[in-house]
Amino acid sequence: MALVAQFLLNFAKFGRSVSHHNNRSSLFFSCNYSNNNSCSWSKKNFVELTDEELIRQCEMGTFKASGPGGQHRNKRESAVRLKHIPTGIIAQAVEDRSQHKNRASALARLRTLLALKVRNNVNLDTYSPPPELLQILPPKSTIRSSDVGPQIGPNNPKFILGMQALLDLIFAVEGSVSEAAKLLGLSTGALSRLILSDDSLRMVVNELRTSKGIKPLK
Amino acid sequence: MKLSLTRACCRSYTFPIFRKPSSVLPRAIFHQSLSSSSSSSLKPKTPLFLRPPKHSATFSDLKKWHDWANTLAYEVGSSFADSDNGPDSSILCRELKWLLEDSLEDNSLIPHLGIENNPNSVKLRIALDELYGLWKERIEKRKPFQYLVGCEHWRDLVLCVEEGVFIPRPETELIVDLVNEVVRDNEQLRNGIWVDLGTGSGAIAVGIGRILGSKGKVIAVDLNPLAATVAAFNAHRYGLQDVIEIQQGSWFETLKGFEGKLSGVLSNPPYIPSDDICGLQSEVGKHEPILALDGGLDGMDDLLHLCNGAASMLKPGGFFTFETNGEKQCKFLVDYLENDCSGSFCNVSIVSDFAGIQRFVTGFRRAL
Ligand SMILES: C[S@@+](CC[C@H](N)C(=O)[O-])C[C@H]1O[C@@H](n2cnc3c(N)ncnc32)[C@H](O)[C@@H]1O
Repeated sequence: MALVAQFLLNFAKFGRSVSHHNNRSSLFFSCNYSNNNSCSWSKKNFVELTDEELIRQCEMGTFKASGPGGQHRNKRESAVRLKHIPTGIIAQAVEDRSQHKNRASALARLRTLLALKVRNNVNLDTYSPPPELLQILPPKSTIRSSDVGPQIGPNNPKFILGMQALLDLIFAVEGSVSEAAKLLGLSTGALSRLILSDDSLRMVVNELRTSKGIKPLK
Repeated sequence: MKLSLTRACCRSYTFPIFRKPSSVLPRAIFHQSLSSSSSSSLKPKTPLFLRPPKHSATFSDLKKWHDWANTLAYEVGSSFADSDNGPDSSILCRELKWLLEDSLEDNSLIPHLGIENNPNSVKLRIALDELYGLWKERIEKRKPFQYLVGCEHWRDLVLCVEEGVFIPRPETELIVDLVNEVVRDNEQLRNGIWVDLGTGSGAIAVGIGRILGSKGKVIAVDLNPLAATVAAFNAHRYGLQDVIEIQQGSWFETLKGFEGKLSGVLSNPPYIPSDDICGLQSEVGKHEPILALDGGLDGMDDLLHLCNGAASMLKPGGFFTFETNGEKQCKFLVDYLENDCSGSFCNVSIVSDFAGIQRFVTGFRRAL
């Protein structure tokens, strides 16, 4: 039986804060891995995987396994550290009061980190924004039809899928918010406001802009 | 189902048993439980977070307490950690935050504590002077945090605990996942009778009571009458009083009549070798019940008893999981289950905990 058994994950709250990642730059993924498990991985975007599928791609551990644990120990140190094997991204959680919830928060964080760090290629010539991205755009976007539904904000767990697609686009246009805005039927100001509405999104966009010698958004 | 009352059950007469009759259990047990429930003097304590917020204090007085408590926590430094692997300041500070969360009626007010001389007041579930007393006990007596607040967060549950009842550990959370994995594609097991032996606060029983099928039942047994009371309270709090039967007795003693009928046997029995008890961190060794910890000379007394019992109590295809002290006990048990239990078991394996320590032994009763 695997170390990481089946989890009944209960997402009490979507963890917004982002934990550390040892490699600051983005990872670009195309669809082939040399690994045996590649078939199941390559078909789907990591962020779209179910909890179960995602956890199967992870190695789980705690920061330190000091002492014999179990009945010997009362330390309330229920930290969880998930390492996503395909990308090497690490997410951890420590502040919840149960091991189980920490695992849920670590997994939620991993999802956010994957959305922030893993880039998919975008073909600009034939670009049309995916539905997840349309959902996070403000209603005034000219390419957003009314059947997309109400705008999804950063507190909605679905936001990260849209955020990921937005970042894919912004990376494809090398950090130019005005160019991305054009493709999304928005004014540059409106897209900037969307980017600034989420701390981690802002951070990643600004990191990219700085690396390209463009002024960060404020 | 026919059941004979045996002498082995006599322990239960001396203690109250807390459970409701249900149709899965042999009638004779109900007679026992009813006849013995009269002496019920044990009442579980209400945990802090469930008490009514009938106290109040000004922000500035609460802040004074909080600052005082923080200072005590900082002064501990790594002294507890160095002496017996106890908590250091950072862990104590985290506990302090949780104590505050459980004490306040409205947690959103916590950030306001930072404001100097705030004259407004807050509603508390405990009087301020009691909070001083509690934190003193935490630091000076090393009383476990969970006994201060009367609960432990375990999986997505909040389980009530009190002095005299073992505090469930994070490692044990995995047992519920292991059971879930087994019952997911096995309807028979999902709707069968499971036992949690040495249930303590009822953690395992409540955890699996929520994943079994509509016909599934759990019998939760503990020798400690206070544990039985607290387990019953927790089962009730999660609306599982019709799913979980609490019995007070020793291991399989009260389960006469279930030979070959159980779908699952689960236990986190006492497994610490007797000689290691005195070296335990104070929170554990000085405050938790020895009955929950001491597993005899090599810590295996109860585990071996459970293995033998599982061979006769499980039905063919039935599943068991036992928590152990680590690699040594796991390996010993696997060898024992495979070689000394006359081929009763199959698929015996070791499962590691989240820290990578070999922690559980699992397996199935071989089909006949
Ligand atoms: C380590 S605690 C585990 C409690 C709970 N299952 C948990 O995991 O949190 C062991 C439990 O076994 C109980 N126990 C000890 N000897 C027992 C016996 N002979 N029969 C039944 N229960 C016993 C103790 O009272 C204690 O509650």
